[in-house]
Amino acid sequence: MSSDLAIGMAGSGGDGIVSAGESLINAAALEGYHAIMTKSFGPQIRGGESSCRLRIATKPIFNSGGVLDVAVALNWEDFLKFGAELPVGSHTIMIYESKTGVSQDMLPIKGAKPAVALAVPIGEMAKKNAGTDQAKNSVVLGLLAGWFGIARDSILSGILKKLAKKGAEVVAANERAFTAGLDYARSHPLPSAQEMSLPEGKREVNLVADGNDMCSAAAIFAGCEFFSGYPITPSSEIMHFLNREIWKYGGIMLQAEDEIAGIGAAVGASFAGKKALTATSGPGMSLKSEMLGLATIAELPLVCVNVQRSGPSTGIPTKGEQADLFQAVFSAHGDAVRPVVAPVSVADIFGVTVEAFNIAEQYQTPVILLSDQEIAHRKEILRSFNPSEFKLIERRRPTEEELDKYLRFRITESGISPISQPGILGGNYLALGLEHDENGAPSAGGEMHAKMNDKRIHKFAPLKQRRDLFIVEGDPDAPIGLISWGSVAGVAMEALSLGRAEGLKMKLLVPKLMFPVAEEIFQEFFASVKTGLVVEQSHQGQLYRLIRMYVDVPAGMESLAKSGSNPIMVTEVLERLRAMASGLDKNGV
Amino acid sequence: MNMPTSPRVEYVSKDYKSDLKPIWCPGCGDFGVLIAICRALAAIGRPPHEIAFISGIGCSSRIPGYTTAYGFNAVHGRALPIAQGIKLANPDLLVLVAGGDGDGFSIGGNHISHAIRRNPDLTYIVMDNQIYGLTKGQLSPTSPRGLKTTSSTFGSLEDPVNPLLYVLGYGARFVAQGTPADMDGLTTVIEEGIRYPGFSFINVQSPCVTYGEPEFQIKAQKTRMQSVEKLGHDPTDRLRAMALAQEYGQKLYTGVLFRSSESCPTYEAAARERHKALAGSGLPKERILEMFLPR
Repeated sequence: MSSDLAIGMAGSGGDGIVSAGESLINAAALEGYHAIMTKSFGPQIRGGESSCRLRIATKPIFNSGGVLDVAVALNWEDFLKFGAELPVGSHTIMIYESKTGVSQDMLPIKGAKPAVALAVPIGEMAKKNAGTDQAKNSVVLGLLAGWFGIARDSILSGILKKLAKKGAEVVAANERAFTAGLDYARSHPLPSAQEMSLPEGKREVNLVADGNDMCSAAAIFAGCEFFSGYPITPSSEIMHFLNREIWKYGGIMLQAEDEIAGIGAAVGASFAGKKALTATSGPGMSLKSEMLGLATIAELPLVCVNVQRSGPSTGIPTKGEQADLFQAVFSAHGDAVRPVVAPVSVADIFGVTVEAFNIAEQYQTPVILLSDQEIAHRKEILRSFNPSEFKLIERRRPTEEELDKYLRFRITESGISPISQPGILGGNYLALGLEHDENGAPSAGGEMHAKMNDKRIHKFAPLKQRRDLFIVEGDPDAPIGLISWGSVAGVAMEALSLGRAEGLKMKLLVPKLMFPVAEEIFQEFFASVKTGLVVEQSHQGQLYRLIRMYVDVPAGMESLAKSGSNPIMVTEVLERLRAMASGLDKNGV
Repeated sequence: MNMPTSPRVEYVSKDYKSDLKPIWCPGCGDFGVLIAICRALAAIGRPPHEIAFISGIGCSSRIPGYTTAYGFNAVHGRALPIAQGIKLANPDLLVLVAGGDGDGFSIGGNHISHAIRRNPDLTYIVMDNQIYGLTKGQLSPTSPRGLKTTSSTFGSLEDPVNPLLYVLGYGARFVAQGTPADMDGLTTVIEEGIRYPGFSFINVQSPCVTYGEPEFQIKAQKTRMQSVEKLGHDPTDRLRAMALAQEYGQKLYTGVLFRSSESCPTYEAAARERHKALAGSGLPKERILEMFLPR
């Protein structure tokens, strides 16, 4: 029996590999499993190679897994293009199209030889039972359902529902193809049974969503009534979603003429009193950075999502990376501090997005939400929750009393001044990019500039005490510390639980507030730490370096950092940690 | 700022003028534009708190701060996107946009055409002085070919942008030109532009007294300017308007060059229609996650 199965499939564009993955994850959700599904494509607009990975488990999981348990290749050329994204190991069951003519002991895979290699006439079964090659994905689903016992009935009913629009004939053909796959699996049993166990615990209501959709839904829930942006991979689905939905809630979706106008219109909407959002990816962030400075000095709430991709420049638009952290934190001109938040999963992005709006409103500031391609595009099964558990914060508007001799930028103890908006009688003010006095009149004096910088920076002091924006797990006194962020945090979480299970004394810190750096929270974490790792997907180890800029980091803390498209495996994190632990033992710590 | 504390039925132009002292040089054409705007606003009579006045960067872009309206002196070239966000967020506001020729036709050049095709009800006033004043006398997009400036010691090698032809070419529905050399005419075109239900563009020949050429100064303008109305121009004729616009740089036409007689919905009106059509069709917000239930 199996409780955790990583399946990877690849084929060419028309093979319906991703669609098969979607059928599988929907069925798994209905049956109460946990799962994460990622997709990956070649650069072609249509056609080309496509793949998906699906990890299904009976218990909660936090990442899409490492070496595949099951690999499916509809043709070798496409499968091999994904390299490290679809890693085959010595325990993998390799299923491939027999028409490729490759013999089972001559597989074109580098490194480990899979445990089992099964050449299956997938195309032939599709042709014979459905009359078309296009039913290959239904055959594959039948094979997987047969060999691994995953959600047979739900898969079939899912396929049927999905194809219902295409007519009874197509539905019947695909049912035959699915059954053929199922029968083939039954008549060709695996050397050792690999049936999935049933999910643990009582059946709860599951959702299936990806990060961009979940982020957009959270924006609507948070009261966002204005989105403007410019299409850019991998963030465009936020625009697509809000284009469909935000109008229903009285909001506006403006597809702007460029990235600058995208954030500009959002700044304008915020000035007019609305909660506003823009979304982009790295190159777009560069274009938006002047306008972010304006929102900082004019103290206007705004949420700007950066769905990170591999850079610099156009880089690898379809692949993720965590290399825009420095950009988010440091790309401001002048002494501008901007809160930066980062979710760790699809389940998490809802709350983090609501929090981004709350921080923006409370502190009258632009907030950068750093998502990444992995979270944006991966589908996750998550337990449903009641969104009303999240409190919403509105900007502090002036009272009648405060409108008498109103000063927009009044220097207050908290640094936060009541904010008016056009339409409010007596609240008239000049918002401006120029340095200004409390009344909004331009001011070129050094004294006022220092005062205003102080106001704009020190207002964030309470934010650095927000412990709820950090995940801290493990043994509080542990000498081994693990730190990670964003989608890669899921790898660290699994490493923590496996490491502790094998006796490593370790703990984990995952910041969701990336900036301003909460020095105290890091310092507290490091109190017992002698050695450890900061794990992240960037070549320079940007988080590792950022923390060192603000916090005294124990000398034994090291960086495990890789460029995008190079998966970071739980196993390699554990290997490093084990070596560090044995180093500690030798030194008698 | 001297702001009225309660809405009044009637306003005079000084109700729209703030106490802030302009940074402009004595004799700058922008003083006249400020007065004309205040007069036009008084004629229209909307209270200052219902007006949003947006600008970019440059001498002329300081103008919102010299009024009692809600002002936004933003970043270089981006007044139009910000103004559109404001207008869409609150369509009840009267939204004015202003800036210089560099702000509008150089760094912000991409935004004009898109504002025109969306047709939001806002009025864009360009104070065109054929020079960069704030940064001390460089070549601007409307500087004539051959002009010697701090950034073109040996003379400009480029043709100027023709602002009137540019906006007409993109389909602008209200295009006018004015000059502080004719304050009544300027006030009238600004008022008409504000009253026009859609995007209106007004080019104002507002001379720079410090870096500008003699031929652009008020005195010279007074002899050059020519009212298109007096020429018998039909402002609903786009092609005739384009023919007049073609003479930008040689002739100084004033008045309304083009006012479309075809009706076109504003962006915000179209948005309001969509809101009506879709109202209530979304899941209640507290149940929004139901859209992710597996099927």
